[in-house]
Amino acid sequence: MRVQVKLFASYREVVGVRQLAWTLRDGETLGALVDAVVDAYPRLRGHRDTMFLAVNRAYAQPDVVLRDGDEVALLPPVSGGFE
Amino acid sequence: MIRIQRSPIDVAAVIDSVRRDEAGAIAVFLGTVRADPDVDALDYEVYKPMAIRTLADLVDVAQAKFGVVAMSIVHRVGRVPVGGDSVAIACAAIHRAEAFAACAWAMDEVKRVVPIWKQETGPRTPRARRRRSGARRRTR
Repeated sequence: MRVQVKLFASYREVVGVRQLAWTLRDGETLGALVDAVVDAYPRLRGHRDTMFLAVNRAYAQPDVVLRDGDEVALLPPVSGGFE
Repeated sequence: MIRIQRSPIDVAAVIDSVRRDEAGAIAVFLGTVRADPDVDALDYEVYKPMAIRTLADLVDVAQAKFGVVAMSIVHRVGRVPVGGDSVAIACAAIHRAEAFAACAWAMDEVKRVVPIWKQETGPRTPRARRRRSGARRRTR
Protein backbone atom coordinates (compact mmCIF):
# COMPACT_ATOMS: atom_id res chain seq x y z
CA MET A 1 0.00 0.00 0.00
CA ARG A 2 1.03 3.62 -0.44
CA VAL A 3 0.74 6.54 1.92
CA GLN A 4 1.68 10.20 1.67
CA VAL A 5 4.10 11.53 4.27
CA LYS A 6 3.95 15.28 4.83
CA LEU A 7 6.87 17.13 6.39
CA PHE A 8 6.80 20.53 8.03
CA ALA A 9 9.14 23.25 9.25
CA SER A 10 12.53 21.87 10.37
CA TYR A 11 11.71 18.36 9.10
CA ARG A 12 10.95 19.72 5.63
CA GLU A 13 14.28 21.55 5.66
CA VAL A 14 16.16 18.43 6.78
CA VAL A 15 14.59 16.16 4.15
CA GLY A 16 14.41 18.79 1.42
CA VAL A 17 10.84 18.12 0.25
CA ARG A 18 7.35 18.82 1.59
CA GLN A 19 5.95 15.38 0.86
CA LEU A 20 7.09 11.81 0.26
CA ALA A 21 5.16 8.95 -1.34
CA TRP A 22 5.93 5.84 0.71
CA THR A 23 5.22 2.20 -0.07
CA LEU A 24 4.81 -0.22 2.84
CA ARG A 25 3.37 -3.63 3.60
CA ASP A 26 -0.28 -4.07 4.54
CA GLY A 27 -0.83 -3.98 8.28
CA GLU A 28 2.21 -1.83 9.06
CA THR A 29 1.95 0.67 11.88
CA LEU A 30 2.61 4.36 11.95
CA GLY A 31 5.64 3.73 14.17
CA ALA A 32 7.14 1.33 11.62
CA LEU A 33 6.64 3.90 8.88
CA VAL A 34 8.39 6.58 10.95
CA ASP A 35 11.28 4.21 11.65
CA ALA A 36 11.66 3.57 7.92
CA VAL A 37 11.55 7.29 7.07
CA VAL A 38 14.13 8.08 9.77
CA ASP A 39 16.36 5.27 8.44
CA ALA A 40 16.14 6.77 4.96
CA TYR A 41 16.81 10.30 6.21
CA PRO A 42 19.20 9.89 9.15
CA ARG A 43 19.28 13.62 9.84
CA LEU A 44 15.75 13.19 11.23
CA ARG A 45 17.07 10.80 13.89
CA GLY A 46 17.87 13.53 16.39
CA HIS A 47 14.26 14.72 16.18
CA ARG A 48 12.68 11.28 16.68
CA ASP A 49 11.91 11.68 20.40
CA THR A 50 10.16 15.06 20.05
CA MET A 51 8.25 14.24 16.87
CA PHE A 52 4.44 14.46 16.89
CA LEU A 53 2.52 12.27 14.46
CA ALA A 54 -0.77 12.70 12.65
CA VAL A 55 -2.82 10.46 10.39
CA ASN A 56 -5.50 11.99 8.20
CA ARG A 57 -5.18 15.34 9.97
CA ALA A 58 -5.58 14.11 13.55
CA TYR A 59 -2.87 13.39 16.12
CA ALA A 60 -2.10 9.67 16.24
CA GLN A 61 -0.05 7.22 18.28
CA PRO A 62 2.69 4.99 16.79
CA ASP A 63 0.63 1.80 17.22
CA VAL A 64 -2.04 2.94 14.76
CA VAL A 65 -2.27 0.57 11.77
CA LEU A 66 -2.06 2.47 8.49
CA ARG A 67 -4.33 1.99 5.49
CA ASP A 68 -3.76 2.55 1.80
CA GLY A 69 -4.06 6.23 0.90
CA ASP A 70 -3.55 7.57 4.43
CA GLU A 71 -2.11 11.04 4.84
CA VAL A 72 0.62 10.88 7.47
CA ALA A 73 2.28 14.00 8.86
CA LEU A 74 5.52 14.30 10.83
CA LEU A 75 5.15 17.37 13.02
CA PRO A 76 7.87 19.21 14.89
CA PRO A 77 6.76 20.56 18.29
CA VAL A 78 4.29 23.35 17.48
CA SER A 79 5.10 26.99 18.13
CA GLY A 80 2.19 29.13 17.00
CA GLY A 81 1.25 32.38 18.64
CA PHE A 82 3.63 35.18 19.41
CA GLU A 83 6.34 34.47 21.97
CA MET B 1 -15.00 32.35 12.98
CA ILE B 2 -12.06 30.01 12.51
CA ARG B 3 -9.54 31.26 10.01
CA ILE B 4 -5.93 30.80 8.92
CA GLN B 5 -4.90 33.63 6.62
CA ARG B 6 -1.89 35.35 5.08
CA SER B 7 -3.45 38.83 5.12
CA PRO B 8 -3.49 41.12 8.19
CA ILE B 9 -6.12 40.29 10.79
CA ASP B 10 -9.20 42.54 10.89
CA VAL B 11 -9.53 42.66 14.68
CA ALA B 12 -12.86 44.52 14.63
CA ALA B 13 -14.34 41.79 12.40
CA VAL B 14 -13.10 39.09 14.78
CA ILE B 15 -14.77 40.87 17.72
CA ASP B 16 -18.00 41.46 15.79
CA SER B 17 -18.14 37.75 14.90
CA VAL B 18 -18.74 36.81 18.57
CA ARG B 19 -21.23 39.55 19.50
CA ARG B 20 -24.38 37.95 20.91
CA ASP B 21 -27.33 39.52 22.74
CA GLU B 22 -26.95 37.05 25.61
CA ALA B 23 -23.27 37.86 26.14
CA GLY B 24 -22.30 40.38 28.82
CA ALA B 25 -18.58 40.24 28.10
CA ILE B 26 -16.16 39.80 25.23
CA ALA B 27 -12.52 39.06 26.06
CA VAL B 28 -10.02 39.63 23.26
CA PHE B 29 -6.46 38.45 23.05
CA LEU B 30 -3.94 39.57 20.41
CA GLY B 31 -0.56 37.94 19.96
CA THR B 32 1.85 40.40 18.34
CA VAL B 33 5.35 40.05 16.92
CA ARG B 34 7.86 41.49 19.35
CA ALA B 35 11.01 43.41 18.35
CA ASP B 36 13.65 41.07 19.74
CA PRO B 37 17.30 41.66 18.74
CA ASP B 38 17.93 40.70 15.09
CA VAL B 39 14.24 39.98 14.47
CA ASP B 40 12.41 41.88 11.73
CA ALA B 41 9.52 39.47 11.37
CA LEU B 42 8.29 35.96 12.09
CA ASP B 43 7.59 33.45 9.32
CA TYR B 44 4.66 31.20 10.18
CA GLU B 45 4.12 27.83 8.50
CA VAL B 46 0.91 25.83 8.89
CA TYR B 47 -0.53 22.39 8.19
CA LYS B 48 -3.74 24.13 7.26
CA PRO B 49 -6.40 21.39 7.10
CA MET B 50 -5.28 19.97 10.43
CA ALA B 51 -4.96 23.43 11.99
CA ILE B 52 -8.52 24.33 10.98
CA ARG B 53 -9.80 21.06 12.39
CA THR B 54 -7.81 21.47 15.63
CA LEU B 55 -9.04 25.03 16.10
CA ALA B 56 -12.66 23.99 15.55
CA ASP B 57 -12.27 21.20 18.14
CA LEU B 58 -10.74 23.71 20.53
CA VAL B 59 -13.74 26.04 20.21
CA ASP B 60 -16.11 23.12 20.88
CA VAL B 61 -14.17 22.22 24.03
CA ALA B 62 -14.14 25.86 25.20
CA GLN B 63 -17.91 26.03 24.83
CA ALA B 64 -18.37 22.84 26.88
CA LYS B 65 -15.70 23.64 29.47
CA PHE B 66 -16.35 27.34 30.13
CA GLY B 67 -19.89 27.81 28.83
CA VAL B 68 -18.78 30.50 26.43
CA VAL B 69 -21.41 31.82 24.05
CA ALA B 70 -19.12 32.24 21.05
CA MET B 71 -15.42 32.09 20.27
CA SER B 72 -13.41 33.10 17.21
CA ILE B 73 -9.76 32.38 16.48
CA VAL B 74 -7.82 33.83 13.55
CA HIS B 75 -4.15 33.00 13.02
CA ARG B 76 -1.98 34.72 10.46
CA VAL B 77 0.64 32.73 8.50
CA GLY B 78 3.45 33.69 6.17
CA ARG B 79 5.63 36.64 7.12
CA VAL B 80 4.34 38.86 9.93
CA PRO B 81 6.44 41.96 10.63
CA VAL B 82 7.37 43.28 14.07
CA GLY B 83 4.29 44.95 15.53
CA GLY B 84 1.90 42.86 13.44
CA ASP B 85 -0.83 40.71 14.94
CA SER B 86 -0.15 37.01 14.48
CA VAL B 87 -3.18 35.66 16.32
CA ALA B 88 -6.51 37.04 17.53
CA ILE B 89 -8.92 35.30 19.88
CA ALA B 90 -12.30 36.74 20.81
CA CYS B 91 -14.44 35.05 23.39
CA ALA B 92 -17.99 36.03 24.37
CA ALA B 93 -19.59 34.84 27.58
CA ILE B 94 -22.45 35.77 29.85
CA HIS B 95 -19.99 37.05 32.50
CA ARG B 96 -16.42 38.34 32.23
CA ALA B 97 -14.80 35.63 34.39
CA GLU B 98 -15.71 32.91 31.89
CA ALA B 99 -14.68 35.09 28.96
CA PHE B 100 -11.22 35.80 30.42
CA ALA B 101 -10.68 32.19 31.48
CA ALA B 102 -11.71 30.74 28.13
CA CYS B 103 -9.58 33.23 26.21
CA ALA B 104 -6.46 32.42 28.25
CA TRP B 105 -7.09 28.68 28.00
CA ALA B 106 -7.63 28.89 24.24
CA MET B 107 -4.35 30.72 23.66
CA ASP B 108 -2.44 28.12 25.68
CA GLU B 109 -4.09 25.39 23.62
CA VAL B 110 -3.27 27.12 20.33
CA LYS B 111 0.40 27.09 21.29
CA ARG B 112 0.20 23.49 22.48
CA VAL B 113 -1.74 21.63 19.80
CA VAL B 114 -2.36 23.65 16.63
CA PRO B 115 0.16 22.66 13.91
CA ILE B 116 1.70 26.06 13.26
CA TRP B 117 5.43 26.73 13.39
CA LYS B 118 7.28 30.00 13.44
CA GLN B 119 10.78 31.00 12.53
CA GLU B 120 12.49 34.30 13.23
CA THR B 121 13.74 36.31 10.30
CA GLY B 122 16.06 39.30 10.38
CA PRO B 123 19.34 40.72 9.09
CA ARG B 124 21.25 37.58 10.11
CA THR B 125 18.79 35.16 8.50
CA PRO B 126 20.47 33.14 5.69
CA ARG B 127 19.83 34.86 2.38
CA ALA B 128 18.39 31.73 0.75
CA ARG B 129 15.60 31.49 3.30
CA ARG B 130 14.79 35.19 3.02
CA ARG B 131 14.51 34.83 -0.75
CA ARG B 132 12.32 31.73 -0.45
CA SER B 133 9.92 33.41 1.93
CA GLY B 134 9.75 36.49 -0.23
CA ALA B 135 9.01 34.46 -3.36
CA ARG B 136 6.29 32.52 -1.57
CA ARG B 137 4.71 35.73 -0.36
CA ARG B 138 4.64 37.23 -3.84
CA THR B 139 3.10 34.22 -5.53
CA ARG B 140 0.19 33.57 -3.15
